[in-house]
Amino acid sequence: MIQFERFTLENGLRVIFHQDTTTPLAVVNTLYDVGARDESPEKTGFAHLFEHLMFGGSVNIPDFDAPLQHAGGESNAFTSNDITNYYDILPAQNIETALWLESDRMLSLGFTPKSLETQRSVVIEEFKQRYLNQPYGDVWLKLRPLAYQVHPYRWATIGKEIKHIEDAQMEDVKAFFAKYYNPRNAILCIAGNFELEQVKTLVQKWYGDIPGGIRPGRMLPQEPVQRAYREETIERKVPSDAFYYAFKMPERKSMDYYVADMLSDALGRDKSSRLYASIQKEQKLVTEIHAYVTGSLDNGLLIVDGKLSPDVTFEQLHKALWKELDLIQAEMISETELNRLKNKIRTAKEFQEQGLLNRAMNLAYFELLGDADGINQEQFVYTAIQSEDIQKMANEILNPDNCSLLKVKAI
Amino acid sequence: MIQREQAPPIFPLEKISFIEPHIFDITQSVKLYWMEAVKDETTRVELHFDAGTIRGDKKLASFVNSLLLSGTAEKTSTQIHEDLDGLGAFIDHEIAQEIAIVSLYCLRENVEAAMAILLNAIENVAFHPNEVSDLLRERKQHFLVSSEKVNILVRRAFQKQLFSNLPNYSRQLQLEDLEEVSIPDLKRFHNEFYLQGLTKVVVVGNLESAYIDRLIDAVGSWSKLAKPEFESEIVHIPGRLHVEKSDAVQTAIRMGIPLFNKKHTDFLDFQILQTILGDYFGSRLMSNIREDKGYTYGIGSGLAEANHMGYFIIATEVGKDVAEATLTEIRNEIEKLKTEPVPAEELGLVKNYILGQLLKSADGPNAMMDLFMAVQLHGKDFDFYNDAIRHVQQITPERLQQLANQYFDWDNFTIVTAGAQV
Repeated sequence: MIQFERFTLENGLRVIFHQDTTTPLAVVNTLYDVGARDESPEKTGFAHLFEHLMFGGSVNIPDFDAPLQHAGGESNAFTSNDITNYYDILPAQNIETALWLESDRMLSLGFTPKSLETQRSVVIEEFKQRYLNQPYGDVWLKLRPLAYQVHPYRWATIGKEIKHIEDAQMEDVKAFFAKYYNPRNAILCIAGNFELEQVKTLVQKWYGDIPGGIRPGRMLPQEPVQRAYREETIERKVPSDAFYYAFKMPERKSMDYYVADMLSDALGRDKSSRLYASIQKEQKLVTEIHAYVTGSLDNGLLIVDGKLSPDVTFEQLHKALWKELDLIQAEMISETELNRLKNKIRTAKEFQEQGLLNRAMNLAYFELLGDADGINQEQFVYTAIQSEDIQKMANEILNPDNCSLLKVKAI
Repeated sequence: MIQREQAPPIFPLEKISFIEPHIFDITQSVKLYWMEAVKDETTRVELHFDAGTIRGDKKLASFVNSLLLSGTAEKTSTQIHEDLDGLGAFIDHEIAQEIAIVSLYCLRENVEAAMAILLNAIENVAFHPNEVSDLLRERKQHFLVSSEKVNILVRRAFQKQLFSNLPNYSRQLQLEDLEEVSIPDLKRFHNEFYLQGLTKVVVVGNLESAYIDRLIDAVGSWSKLAKPEFESEIVHIPGRLHVEKSDAVQTAIRMGIPLFNKKHTDFLDFQILQTILGDYFGSRLMSNIREDKGYTYGIGSGLAEANHMGYFIIATEVGKDVAEATLTEIRNEIEKLKTEPVPAEELGLVKNYILGQLLKSADGPNAMMDLFMAVQLHGKDFDFYNDAIRHVQQITPERLQQLANQYFDWDNFTIVTAGAQV
C-alpha cells in the first residue's frame, strides 16, 4: 500500500505527496500532460526536442543541471507518445533547490538560440544512434504508420524524419511552451521524508505565483476501427528476417487494458510462455519471440515480434503463430497458467515499488489517468481477471482484420 | 515576491548510515552475506561462481552459463521455467570475465521453493544435445545482429588491444565457435566451475535465519576449495586502431589505459578526477562534446575494476564526420586537466555531486548490499566509504592536476574507432 496526500494550488497545479520516512533522498517528479501525440503532423519530434530544451536554462537561472549537481542531485526526463516526465533526485535536505529549478522552468524558459542549435544537433545524433545506426533500428518508424493511419501514434516520439528536427524554429518552441507548460497542465509529485504541511508551504512558495494558464484542449483524430489485415515488407541489410505483428488493443484507462496486458504475458513474456515454448523451443522456427503491449493512453498495440531461424520462411512462422493464436481463442487457459501470470505480475510490482523514484513517477502517472490511488488498485484488477476474460479478449483482438504485420526481409 | 535569481541554501551531507550485512562462513573462504533489513516482501539471492569467461577453453564458460536451466533428466527447460514462473520467480544469469552470477528474485514466501527448483536444475543439468544446438543457433543470430552495431565492434577490438598479454581476457567469440561444441567439455566445465566453483552467496531479504542455515547446507558442497586465481597485470597496445563499417552513420570511439582498482592508494582521488572529466552529466566531456558542440547524444568515462587490476575508459558514439574532431576535443580536455587547476566553483559542485550520489547508492537494502559487496571484493568494508567522503572533502585542485599528469599520457592510450572512414 503506497500512502499519499494530494492538494491543488490556486493556479491549478496538482500536487501529490508521498511520505517515506526511511530514505535520506527526495524525489521531485513533474509530469506534463503533453506527448508526441499532441504534435502537428508537419512538426513531429517536437515534444521530445522540447524536453531537451528544458535543460537549457530558464528565465531566471542560466543553467539547470549545475545547481542541482551542486546540491548533490541529478535529473533526467523522458518523452513518450503521451507524456513528458521530468525528475530530480537529491539529498532531502536540499529539496528546495529542485523546487527552485523546476518552478522556474515552469514559469518560463531562457529560449537562448545557442540552446536550440545545440539540442537540435544532439537530438539528430540521438536519432542516428537509436534509429538509424542499429540493425532493425527504424522498425518503429515503419510499424507505427502501418498500424495507425489517422491517430498521431502514427509517428514515433523522435519524429517522422530528421528534417522536422532540422526545421524547428524558436517561435515554434515558444508557442509549444506557452500552450503546454503551465501549472494547470502539470502534475507534481514529491516523495521523501517530509511532513505534509512542510511540503504545502514549500510548493506554495515556489509555484504559487506562476500564472495558471489554460489547460490545452485535446482533440485528436481518432483512429477508425481497423477492418482489414495490413502487411508491409521492408528490405534491410540485417542478419535475419524479423517480424512484427501489431494488434490494436484497448486504451490504458479501460479495465480491458489489464486483460490484454495479461494476454500478452501468456503469449510471450517468459520462457514458460506459449509462443516461446511452442514456436521457439519445440518447433525451432525462431531464434527469439516476444509479446508485449505498448501501454499507451489511447488505443494501444499488442505486439508479437521476433526473428526467424535460418531457412525458415515468413509463411511457416505465420502458420505456426496463428495456430497458437487460434488455440488461445478456442480454449480457456488453465488455472495453473493463470496463477503463474498473476504471480509474476505480483513479484514484478513488489520489486518496482522498492524504488522511491518509481513510486513518485507512478503516482503522478496514475493521477493523470484519473486517480493516484490506481497504483494501489492495479493489483486487485489483475487478481480479479479470470480465464474467460483472457479468452474473450483473445477473441476480440487476435484477429487478422485487427492485425498489421511488418516484415523485415534480410538482404 | 520571491527571489528567483537567488539559489536556496545548500546543506552539506552530514553522514551516511551504513547497515552491515550478517556474514556466515560456508567454508573458510566461501561466505554468505545476508542483508536482513528489508521492509517489503522482496527477496534476492545471488550465487557467485568462479566461472567467468576467462575460465576453460574458448566460449565454454558462456555456453554453460546460458544452459544452466536447460533441463535435467527429469524435467525439460520449459517445465523448469513453468515451475519457477509459477512461484512468480525471476532468474537472471550473467557472466563477466572473472565471475558468473545466478540471481533469484522473488517474494519471500516463495524463496525456499524457488531456490530448491533452481538448485536442482543447476545441479542436474543434462546438456541435452537439442538444447545445446538451440543455444548455438540462437547465439549465432545474436552474434550476427550485434556485429552490425558499432558500439559492439569497438568493444571487441578494444578488449583485444587492452588485454594484449592476457589471451583469456581478450578472446572474442568467433562465428566458427558457434558451429559446434563438445558436450563432454560442457559437462566437465560445469562440474569444475559450478559444482565445485561457488565463491559467494548474497541474500537480501527479511527471511528466517533458519532458512539461511538450510541454504548454506544446500549449497555448501559446491564451495570452491582453493582460492580462485586472477591476473594482476594488463599490458596494452597503445595507439590507434580502426574497425571499418562502411554503412555506419555514427562512429563509436572507445579509448583507455590500464589503471588500478580500489586497493590502490590513488583510487579515491582518481575517481574524483575522472568524474570531472567524464563521469556525470555536467562533466567536461559532456559539456564540451554534447552540450557545446552537439557531436553526440552522450559521452562518458569510467573506471572498470577486476579482482587484481583495473582500467580507465572513455566511450562515445558520434556523427561520422566529427569523429576526428571529437578525439581532438577529448585530447584538449585531458590536456586542460594537466595544465590548469580545476576552478574552485567546479570542484565544489563535483564534491557535492559525488557525495549526493554516494547517498543515493546507499538508499535501500539492495543498494546497501551492492555497496558493501563492491568493497568486500577488495578486502575492505564500509570504512572505505567514510574514507571516500574524507577524500572528497579534502581534495585540492593541485592534487587533481598532479594525478592528471601522473596518469594521463595521450600517447599511452589505446584508441579504437568503429564506423565509416570519411
